[in-house]
Amino acid sequence: MADPEWSKHLADGLRRNDIRFYATVPDFIVSQVLEHLWRDDECTVVTAAREEEGLGILSGAYLAGRRGALLMQNSGLGSCVNTLASLNFATQIPVVMVLSHRGDINEYNPAQVPMGQAAEGILQALGVRYITPHTVEELEAQLDGLIKLAYTRSLPVAVLLPNDLTGGRYS
Amino acid sequence: MNRAEATRLLCERLHDEVVVANLGQATTELQHAADRALNCYTFGAMGQCSSLALGIALARPDVRVVSLDGDGSLLMNLGVLTTVATQAPKNLAIVVWDNEVHMTTGGQPTATAFRTSLAGVARGAGIEKVLEPADYEELALAFDRMLSEEGPFFVQVKVDKGYAEGAIFRDLIRYKLRFMDALAAQGRHDRGSG
Repeated sequence: MADPEWSKHLADGLRRNDIRFYATVPDFIVSQVLEHLWRDDECTVVTAAREEEGLGILSGAYLAGRRGALLMQNSGLGSCVNTLASLNFATQIPVVMVLSHRGDINEYNPAQVPMGQAAEGILQALGVRYITPHTVEELEAQLDGLIKLAYTRSLPVAVLLPNDLTGGRYS
Repeated sequence: MNRAEATRLLCERLHDEVVVANLGQATTELQHAADRALNCYTFGAMGQCSSLALGIALARPDVRVVSLDGDGSLLMNLGVLTTVATQAPKNLAIVVWDNEVHMTTGGQPTATAFRTSLAGVARGAGIEKVLEPADYEELALAFDRMLSEEGPFFVQVKVDKGYAEGAIFRDLIRYKLRFMDALAAQGRHDRGSG
C-alpha cells in the first residue's frame, strides 16, 4: 500500500536540496509532486511542450546559477536521450530527472509497456545514476545522496518512481 | 543578407547581454565576430538553442538574453515558441538565421524553403513582437528594438546560404565555465540570492 504522503516527501526532498526551478511535461503520477511545487511561491515551474525542451530550459537555468529538476513520465525519457548525451553529458550540466515508471508491474495500457521495460536500460546505457525507491523510507534514505552526486560530478541523475511507492495508475 | 555581416551588426550593439548561439554556423560566426565571455556557444543537442536561452532568461530576469537560432534547428523544437509565449520573459529575443537549408549537412532544403514561415509560426504560438527585417537598415532597427524594448521578441532574418568562414573552436568545458563565471559576476552587486 503506497504512502499517500510520498509526493510531499519528494517535493520537500527536492526543495531542501535547493532545487526551486522545475520543468515538466506532467502525467497523473508526477502531478502529485507538482501540486506541492505549484503552490510554492519560491518555486518556478515551467511546463514544456516536450521533455527534451525541458532539459534545454533547465540546462540554461543551471548555467545561470539555478539547480533544476525535470518531472515527467518515463515515456519522456525517450525524447530526452540525445539532449542528455550531447548537452548534459558532453558539457557536464547536472539535472535531476524525476520519472514516473509506467509500463511496469500492474500496467493496463499495452502501449506503455515497451518503454517502461526499456527505461532502466536507457538510463544505464547513458550512464545516468538513478534510484528506484520502493517506500518513503527508501526515498528519504537515498534522495539527498543522489542529488549530492549530481552536483559533485556535474552530470544528470534520475529518480525512477516505482508503482509501489506512488500507487501507480491502474485504469 | 549575409549572416556574418548580420552577426557583426548585432555584435556592434552588444554590451552586457547574453548571446546563446546555435550549433554550427551561428556559433562559428559569433566566435569570429566577437568572442565574449557572455557568449554561450552550443555544439550539440540540435534544437535546444532557444530552450537554453529561455532557461537563462527565466533564471536571470535582470539580464537580456539573445538566442541566435537556425531554421533547421528551430524546426526541430517549434514547441519552444509556445513555451516562450506562455512564459513571456521580457528579457528574451530569439533571432533565427533563416537560410532555408540544412547548411551544416550540405544544404538540403528545410520547410522554410517551401511554404513554412517561422515568423508566422511565432505569431501563431502567441509571441506578439515578431519582426521580419528585409534589409540591413531594417535589421539594425530590429536589433535596436529587441535590445531596448521589453520582449519577448522573435526576429526572422532571411540570410544567404553558405558556410561560416574560419574554424570553429570546440573547447566545450572551458567555454561553459567562462560563461558561468561571467554571468554570475554580472550584476552580482544589485541582486538577491535568487
